[in-house]
Amino acid sequence: MNKYNPPRMNPSSLRSRFATRFLRSLSKINAKKPTASSSSPTEIFRRYRRIKVAADKSMAYSVRSRRTWSRAMLWKLRTRPCCRRSVKTSTIVRKTRHEKQNKNTTTTTGEDGVVFGVEADELRELVPGGEAMDLYNLLDETAHYIKCLTTQVQVMKKIADFYSP
Amino acid sequence: MENQFFLDAGIPPQAPPLHFGSSLSDWQSLPSAMEMEIQSQDCFPTGYGLRYESAMVSSPPASNCNMSSESLMMRKLGSIGNSGEIPHHSQPMLAASSCYSTPMNSPPQLNLPLPRPMALDSSVADFSADPGFAERAAKFSCFGSRSFNGRTTQFGPKDSVEIAAYRSNPLAPNAKLPRVSSSPAIKQRVAQVGGTNNRSELAISQEESTVSEQNPEPGFKGSNSRKRKARTMETSPSPSPNASKVTETNGASNEKRCKLSESNANENGSGKSEEDAKGSNTRAPEPSQDYVHVRARRGQATDSHSLAERVRREKISERMKLLQNLVPGCNKVTGKALMLDEIINYVQSLQRQVEFLSMKLASVNTRLDFNVESLMSKDTFQSNTQQQQQIFPINSSAASAFLGHQSQQNPPLHSNIANGTMTQCSVDPSDTVICPKLNQFLETVSQYPTFCEGDLETLVQMGFGQNQSQEMALHSQNFQGLNQVSGMKVEL
Repeated sequence: MNKYNPPRMNPSSLRSRFATRFLRSLSKINAKKPTASSSSPTEIFRRYRRIKVAADKSMAYSVRSRRTWSRAMLWKLRTRPCCRRSVKTSTIVRKTRHEKQNKNTTTTTGEDGVVFGVEADELRELVPGGEAMDLYNLLDETAHYIKCLTTQVQVMKKIADFYSP
Repeated sequence: MENQFFLDAGIPPQAPPLHFGSSLSDWQSLPSAMEMEIQSQDCFPTGYGLRYESAMVSSPPASNCNMSSESLMMRKLGSIGNSGEIPHHSQPMLAASSCYSTPMNSPPQLNLPLPRPMALDSSVADFSADPGFAERAAKFSCFGSRSFNGRTTQFGPKDSVEIAAYRSNPLAPNAKLPRVSSSPAIKQRVAQVGGTNNRSELAISQEESTVSEQNPEPGFKGSNSRKRKARTMETSPSPSPNASKVTETNGASNEKRCKLSESNANENGSGKSEEDAKGSNTRAPEPSQDYVHVRARRGQATDSHSLAERVRREKISERMKLLQNLVPGCNKVTGKALMLDEIINYVQSLQRQVEFLSMKLASVNTRLDFNVESLMSKDTFQSNTQQQQQIFPINSSAASAFLGHQSQQNPPLHSNIANGTMTQCSVDPSDTVICPKLNQFLETVSQYPTFCEGDLETLVQMGFGQNQSQEMALHSQNFQGLNQVSGMKVEL
């Protein structure tokens, strides 16, 4: 690029929200690292897990509870077995479990379930929270999920590019 | 102007006095109605005030009255816009209000001496009798003056339509609309005074409330349409046709379907759709937020079940089209099953990319400190040239970057990748071992000719579990490979 014009970035866009949150959590993760064993594979693996969780959590938080998949993802993340803050999760779990139960009331209806049987199930497995949705809502959630995933990938790619030598 | 609000409240200025008197007695029995009267009083304009003044003059002289409330009332009237005239009017108004200090007795006398029937007289009586009127007047003066500007026609059926239109004026906040429409005082007054306008007013107020509900939610998805449809099968048609029509209009516009026929106001679409099916070739569904009114196409089944199914199918195909735009490379694919397969593959690849990138970040960040502000600035200043179409080739190139720590792979990598991700290749081999989902990467990567068979085997042997001893051994191998690769950064 010859000419440098700073693009106007919408401060409340999904991308910026995700980027700020993710960077914050990344810096927290990096702050915790012990310098001695920083390059051991186990340590890298652990950090990989943590970063992945941080990325998913940042994305879900950026979407808040507006989407079923974000709610399901947040619920999943909070009730992970290795989650240390068990006290906080208990109250949150109750709330989100209630939401999950509300979701479970909707079921797949006949005709389109016949047409899209196998693929719809696969899609349900992929999209968090998709198990209890009818096809129309599932497609809706998938569209939003794809949009958020692409944002996530782009931001993470930029960060990785920035920090790779 | 604010005339109209007063008219709206059911008191036509030209109405006969007796009519007004009867309504007055009703009002007096309703304190909240009194409020509305009082507030409407605040809003009447200059010309009206003049008439009021003349009426006041003609009224019989006063007994004692509550001077403070009257002065307050003067001030309120003045604030609306008659500031220049209020001091002039003060005397006659005092005289007038004084005669109304006993409001219960005076109503029939009120109207008779008046040359022009003044609805204001009785409300003036209410004013003086009401100790707290000043507060309510203050509360409602803004309401009246804001909402009712520029209406000059007399209250009638036409006005009710105007009122409805005015109430749904976006200037008036939606929070106010339900208050107006649901106020029992107004409804009651309308019921007593409005006569024929009663039902239309109520219907319109219902419409308004639905309109005000619909207006803030333009983007509402039709997820409730199924529930609402079941419910509407049972509801009575009388108040709902207006409401349904309104909601349907909004919903139809939201859903980008423009046809709204007058004839399909029924929840039970089958009866209507029969006659429609015979005569019309118009589009079938008109989905809205509350009701799904479907018109059957010519020669098609008019069963309610099939109509509902058709609506569902069309909604789903609409969603599939949206997804087609999101997923790259789906334009050639026809058929829902294939589309869904493509979507599934795309979502899987995106998820894998996220994992890959997090792995990369985990390894990269061992060396560098993190500066959030600089990174954010970098993010903002980098224009995003990466298109979605690149993601698929990036996936393949990323996977091959994983395994491509052989020198012969670099040229294909160079050609595949359109952005500057190739600098990652130095750290990739260390990551690949740990990634539990690498087998899926391999599945996609195996399609690509750049993939090296030897690499596949080594990775398969590595096992993709989390066996630490294996990881250690493999890492020792990979770090040797890493040293080879580090000198081979490909940059674009």
